[in-house]
Amino acid sequence: METQGRTLVIIPAYNEEGSVGKVVEEVRHNLPQADIVIVNDGSRDLTSIKARSYEATVLDLPFNLGIGGAMQAGYKYTFEKGYDIAIQVDADGQHDPKEIPKLLHALTEEKVDMVIGSRFLGVSEFKSSLMRRIGISIFSRVISTIAKQKITDPTSGFRAVNRKAIQLFASNYPQDYPEPEAVVLLHQCGLKMRETPVVMSKRYSGESSITKIRSVYYVIKVLLAIFVDCFKKPPFLEEEEERC
Amino acid sequence: MLIKVQIVVGLLSIFLLWTTFELVRKNRLREEYAILWLFTGIVVLVFSLWPEFLLSQFFAKITGIFYLSAVVVIAFLFLLLIVLHFSVVISKLTNQNKELAQRYALLELKINELKRHFPPLENTLP
Repeated sequence: METQGRTLVIIPAYNEEGSVGKVVEEVRHNLPQADIVIVNDGSRDLTSIKARSYEATVLDLPFNLGIGGAMQAGYKYTFEKGYDIAIQVDADGQHDPKEIPKLLHALTEEKVDMVIGSRFLGVSEFKSSLMRRIGISIFSRVISTIAKQKITDPTSGFRAVNRKAIQLFASNYPQDYPEPEAVVLLHQCGLKMRETPVVMSKRYSGESSITKIRSVYYVIKVLLAIFVDCFKKPPFLEEEEERC
Repeated sequence: MLIKVQIVVGLLSIFLLWTTFELVRKNRLREEYAILWLFTGIVVLVFSLWPEFLLSQFFAKITGIFYLSAVVVIAFLFLLLIVLHFSVVISKLTNQNKELAQRYALLELKINELKRHFPPLENTLP
């Protein structure tokens, strides 16, 4: 598997001591040339120590910022260190690192700025609750309309981005439930994206951060944020100087 | 009847002004937040001292509400403003807090990496 430039895998983790080590091992096994950073989002368990015991770089946030703040910290690290490609992988094990080469391949071959691993493209035995499917289909419709392209799985956090998108996300990343909004943000800045089919498995441990009661709030909050985003001035992306 | 209302409202506004002033004096309230509170207190005080005050007459005429209600409504409007102002301030603080936490984490990681490459001098001395 060859990729141009240096690649970093960002793994945001909040109370994932049970699975973080396994994810790190599998990423290493499937993508030996990539570096790994774990963003420990103020976990109250041994996530940080567990990750360190696997000799991964750990970015310890002093308190819990939520997935948006944690991801942005990861992107800031990626940007400062000068990586060319970043890959987001969840620490709970639902994103199979075996699928990362597919994302990378799509990113370099199709010349897009972001590739989203979609559970709903192609063959997939992904099963989820009715509530979640309804929520995702609402997002999918709204975001596909705004982005003027079909996005089947806007809530997927299994993504690969290039330097341009890293720069954008380091300075601007949505809070709380960032994945659908990040797609809109990317589109507003004129960056290109596409989806590629991936298989997602059940999480090794832990619970989804989105419970049943919260899922209604989640849908409303994200739709509102997207609506407001449509009226915001898109952030200005400075041209980066050529790095040697 | 009106004089009783005037006294109560007047005392309330004096209490508010005094409390705000004391809080600022003891550095427990920043001036920028005190301004809105002081302004609220002053307006309510003016309304209690001069119930025939031009604005209150005018306000009662166009809205058809009585003196006390007018004072309450005006105070309420100010409170709305203050609360909205606080929401804005809290949002700003949350954002700054997030930026700080992120920068703190990045710096801590950098320091740990530096320590690994260049161990502290004390350890190398006999």
